[in-house]
Amino acid sequence: MKPLFELRDITKSYNDSTILDIPHLMIKRRGVYGIMGPNGAGKTTLLSILAFILPPTAGTIYWEGVDVNTMDSHQLRKKVTLITQNPYLFHTTVEKNVAYGLKMRRIQSQKRKEKIEESLQLVGLSGFGKRMACELSGGETQRVAIARALALKPQVLLLDEPTANVDQQGIEQLETILQELNEKLGITIIVATHDTNQAYRIADEVNYFFEGKITKSPMENLFKGRIVKKDKDLLLFDTGRIHIALLPGRKHVSHIAIPPEDIIVSLEPVATSARNSFAGTISQVTDEGDGVTLTVDIGEKLRAKITKRSFQEMTLTLGSSVYVSFKSSSVETF
Amino acid sequence: MEYLWGGIKGAAVLIIRLDAEVFRTVLLSLRISLTATLIASLIGIPVGFLISTHEFPFKRTIITVFNTLMSLPTVVVGLFLYSLLSKQGPFGPLGLLFTPTAMVIGQFILATPIVVALTISAIQAMDPRAKITAMTLGAGPLRTALTVLSEARFALTAAVIAGFGRVIAEVGAAMMVGGNIKGYTRTMTTAIALETAKGEFAFGLALGCILLFVAFAVNILFHYFQLKRG
Repeated sequence: MKPLFELRDITKSYNDSTILDIPHLMIKRRGVYGIMGPNGAGKTTLLSILAFILPPTAGTIYWEGVDVNTMDSHQLRKKVTLITQNPYLFHTTVEKNVAYGLKMRRIQSQKRKEKIEESLQLVGLSGFGKRMACELSGGETQRVAIARALALKPQVLLLDEPTANVDQQGIEQLETILQELNEKLGITIIVATHDTNQAYRIADEVNYFFEGKITKSPMENLFKGRIVKKDKDLLLFDTGRIHIALLPGRKHVSHIAIPPEDIIVSLEPVATSARNSFAGTISQVTDEGDGVTLTVDIGEKLRAKITKRSFQEMTLTLGSSVYVSFKSSSVETF
Repeated sequence: MEYLWGGIKGAAVLIIRLDAEVFRTVLLSLRISLTATLIASLIGIPVGFLISTHEFPFKRTIITVFNTLMSLPTVVVGLFLYSLLSKQGPFGPLGLLFTPTAMVIGQFILATPIVVALTISAIQAMDPRAKITAMTLGAGPLRTALTVLSEARFALTAAVIAGFGRVIAEVGAAMMVGGNIKGYTRTMTTAIALETAKGEFAFGLALGCILLFVAFAVNILFHYFQLKRG
């Protein structure tokens, strides 16, 4: 089966700065996707592009294998619904807000009423139909916006930080609703969020964004700095406190990230092919269930993930002196 | 003082008795100004919307022109229209001079820039999320535009009321292209000017009171909708 969305070489630029750059991204039918990343990572831009309300500067989007440039964008928009962060409700009643998209789809009045009631019930707002939208609280506004999108039963539901203004109970409620929509109705769901736990709770696949680019892993051990030495076979990146060796090739690097799984922790300096090796002390130990995360102070705080077995074998404790090493090729550069 | 007091008493009597001549004049004024405002709104709101939602060369200049035209002197419009509609003018054969139609045209010219300029400011002040929300809920270009206009309805109503307030109170254009013909093109403002000059102070004052009342009501409505907008 063809994927719902396939993005190829999509970029979005304003003036001269590129805020989104995606070589390839596939969204499969019935999937639940998480999009994570800090502010300004391009999450909202990506959602707007997927909602067909913002055209990319370059690249091609395929919808079920067909280039969307050859399709009617208005018809495409009816298949995909975006719930923006801080949603906007029309200056009218809750009921008419939920009715809006249904009217656009020419759903008959009786059927419309049923769908409005059903979706308000789903978000726990039945009986709110006649209330004016401007009288609602932040959390209620958010839920009406979700009900308004749910009523349409789109093929894809895009949500931008849906739980930003919602309390814990509301978050659980929403996550349950999203799971139901996905399982019962087969709606594909794409959620942009700050919350790592949320992303993993609901999504089958999580994509991390940083400065408009998809990265392999969450941005851990993220350092800002600049290149201070350039050789044929080596780049030296200065974080302000330590120097880290990078693979040559990149001209400009402003950030680096080191995946915690790629860091080797040892009690003695070891002879390896890894270009980066530092001595430090353990300043924090966190049990992660499947492993242990150590925070090692090497001038910068570096998080390293090791297995429970290695942790026990090395009899590590807070304050233990250790050596950490990692390959230049493990360092992600931006 | 006696003279003034007599005038006020006479005006009160004319209003309370629902004097036929007074009310015919008031109704004609309202008919002409409401017609002109309606046409100005039907054209001005879409034009203002298109200007504010599209990018094109000289956009800022055009907006400045409309803002300037808001204070177009009424006699200049009267003069301009007179020259077009008079027998020697290009539209002379249509025989429109000194007809209510000519007055509607004059007031339309006065009201339109106000409706356009205030529509532009109303749409520019709109929350951009309104448009995005309409689009993402499946509205086409026309429905999206109508939704944005509907969301701006209070500010747009204020624009229309401001246009009406301008034309109901103007005297220059009405006098020059209407000719102040009794029972045909005599409006409140032209009648006040004439009757006062004739010494019919009570009649002028009665119309003045009604005009003041209309202007007052228009202002209250304008502020009501301006407040609602925020």
